[in-house]
Amino acid sequence: MPKRIFQAIDSWRERREEQTKPWHEHSYFVLDMETTGLDPKQHQVVSLGWVLIENGAVQLDTAQHLLLDSAEIDDVSVGIHMITDSDVMEQGRRHESVLRYLRQIMKDKVLVVHYSPLELGFLKSLWQTQPMPALAFDWIDTMQVEMQRRSRAQEIIGDGGYRLPACRERYGLPDYPGHDALTDAMATAELLLAQVAYFNDHEPSLQELVRIGGGRARLSSNNKTS
Amino acid sequence: MAAIDIPEVLKFIDSTPPFSGLTSVQQKQLLGGVELTYVRQGEKLNLEGTRATLHLIRRGACEIRSAKGGLVDKLADGDCFGVSSVLEQNPDGLQVVVLEDSLIYRFQKEGFQTLLQENEEFALFFAHTRSSRLRKLSRAHATDLATPVLQLSTSISQIMARNLITASVTDTVQQAASVMTDARVSSILVLEKDRLVGIVTDRDLRSRVLAVGASANLPLCDVMTHAPASIDPRSLVMHAQTLMSEKNIHHLPVVESDHTPVGMITAADLLRHQELSPLLLINQINRQTDITSLREVCQQLTNLIVNLILTDMKTTDIGSVIAAISDSLTRRIIELGIERYGTAPFAFQFLVFGSQARKDQSLGSDQDNGMMLSQEPTPEQAEYFAKLAQFICDGLAQCGIRSCPGDIMASNKKWRLTQEGWKKAFANWVEASSPSSLLNASIFFDIRCVYGDENGVTELIQDMQSRVAKTSLFLATLTRTATASKPPIGFFRNFLLESSGEHKHQLDLKHQGLALINDLARIYGLGCKRYHVATKDRLEQAAREKLMGLDIARNLMDAWDGLNELRLQAQRQHWQTTGEPSAYLDPTELSSLERKHLKSTFAIIADGQSAALQRFARGYA
Repeated sequence: MPKRIFQAIDSWRERREEQTKPWHEHSYFVLDMETTGLDPKQHQVVSLGWVLIENGAVQLDTAQHLLLDSAEIDDVSVGIHMITDSDVMEQGRRHESVLRYLRQIMKDKVLVVHYSPLELGFLKSLWQTQPMPALAFDWIDTMQVEMQRRSRAQEIIGDGGYRLPACRERYGLPDYPGHDALTDAMATAELLLAQVAYFNDHEPSLQELVRIGGGRARLSSNNKTS
Repeated sequence: MAAIDIPEVLKFIDSTPPFSGLTSVQQKQLLGGVELTYVRQGEKLNLEGTRATLHLIRRGACEIRSAKGGLVDKLADGDCFGVSSVLEQNPDGLQVVVLEDSLIYRFQKEGFQTLLQENEEFALFFAHTRSSRLRKLSRAHATDLATPVLQLSTSISQIMARNLITASVTDTVQQAASVMTDARVSSILVLEKDRLVGIVTDRDLRSRVLAVGASANLPLCDVMTHAPASIDPRSLVMHAQTLMSEKNIHHLPVVESDHTPVGMITAADLLRHQELSPLLLINQINRQTDITSLREVCQQLTNLIVNLILTDMKTTDIGSVIAAISDSLTRRIIELGIERYGTAPFAFQFLVFGSQARKDQSLGSDQDNGMMLSQEPTPEQAEYFAKLAQFICDGLAQCGIRSCPGDIMASNKKWRLTQEGWKKAFANWVEASSPSSLLNASIFFDIRCVYGDENGVTELIQDMQSRVAKTSLFLATLTRTATASKPPIGFFRNFLLESSGEHKHQLDLKHQGLALINDLARIYGLGCKRYHVATKDRLEQAAREKLMGLDIARNLMDAWDGLNELRLQAQRQHWQTTGEPSAYLDPTELSSLERKHLKSTFAIIADGQSAALQRFARGYA
């Protein structure tokens, strides 16, 4: 038993050291999902778009856009995302292989999303659909980072002011008309770069970023307890 | 998956020259390994090691500065930098400073280099960017070094105002104020037996008379500054500057050793001397009270323009500066004319056409103008306007804006019409649609109001546009007339053949290049719903209203900028060597690169012409 405790302490210390490194020494997995609705318990993920940040820059080559096959498409999400059943049939991937792939890519990376309750909720429910090894990771929510930053500066931001396009506009980032998962993931990645550039005039460590707008999460499947 | 599959990236690359000219395979090759970064205002970019590579601004603004900090170029969305660091490890030590928070694409060096070797047009684009920056760099060096020293060591007598505005100690405050107002000056020298004993400035009148409720009948000796600071005419400009800042004064009388005043120098004079500034020239224009003195002031105009060209102002900005000055000059002359012949019997507008309307005049542009009268004049009233118009056109000619060889001038009775008359004239041009009448009339379609109520002119333009919209044959004829003169695409081949003979070819940048783009822009501009008069605005509007592809519009705008820059440079050189602002270019003075670039410019114009024929003249051939 003491051995396990030591191991746990070691890995905790290691993680802490990792976290105090400057932000650009980490890799970030910036994710956006399109879903059939806003409730992870009822609705499903239609597609996933992501891009990686490495060495402090968005690596455009890493961009991915995947459609999932089991999702049912209703009229509303066709309207929002312009995705149709035939797209899903043509490009849909088998759930299992997509999730394995996702897990492989997310390992050792920090998850970045805009509005974490939704995205984390859907990730968790995805993990329930298949028997999957557990995965723990740090995450950053660019919306929370933005809220912290604005409330510290005592700026008052009105309704809808924390939506992705509104946040981007405050940093002079261009307006992207499209709202597919990949474009929104790109948009979130750029927003994070801008937020980091404005971080109290010094380069933040991962720890500082997580502290103001993030946390740690663990994904696991049904048959293993979390 | 690669960068090319991200819709926003692809869209941007595909609309940004020179990338837009690449095949999708080439775009894919170039986009391999692209990184995207966000840089804050004020940061200096690192262009060393793996970052010595091509950068493209997605959103933001940067400037390139020389190693010593001189401004070389300003960049914005869609502009590239870092090319010289790829090719030659940045031999000039250029620095890139971020002006506004910027989102920047950083390309992989290898992919870029491969493409440079494979694609001549692509390589040419960057070679041209580079050579134009080098040219700017060398000028930045030259002006850094030369000017400040020269300027400060000029003697006062060279820059002082010699027309003295004086009063005697016994004159009243009221008398002095009225003299100052008439002469449009802000200070007056107070003399006693021809010797300087005091000075009164606008500020003195405010603080020592008005603010304390003193009488306007006080003698000047009660309110003047006694024994004011003064300077010898042989002193240097820098002495005057020091003296003014030490004593915190803006007016410095220039006197001989026996206190006889010989001139006056103001802080504004010093500033103007240091930097011949457009704003000060306009102020001076507004202060002159007769044509002779206006003419003297306007002699600075050429120097000013040459300076602007030397300081690398953008060509469109130079155009607007010259337009602002010509507009002020025109207005001032109209005011002088009204002072002379009395108030007009009824309202009128003074119209300008052609280059002044488009705001792209250069050195030696001529005048094209007319008048719009708010009602039909009686014979006496007509006589008044004839005199006034003659005065204005003569005045402009004396001030260096030459008379129009085609007599399109307000002094010509044909071009002094009522609004109804102008509407009819436009209706004739639009509806008759005969090529020969259009050829001479096209200049009228570039129209702007410089004096009087603009609304009348706006109505005229709207009327003209609605006629154009109803008469599709008009644009067809205009297009066919305009595209009859072709850009000299084969020029360089001929030049090579004939360079040894006695017919040494010269290239006319205005008529063989710029005018063709102006003509194209006019056609599209008239086809648009919204009227613009400047060539680049028209092209932009046409792209916005989807009359013209964004690609063609941008290419034409770039071509226009490039040609205009060449033309201004050519004019400057001719002016400095011969005193004549000729827009002819001697091809022997061009580098092979510039020649190639000109060639592609002409090809762009030819493309634009065939697109216009397709769009407007199809079915009328």
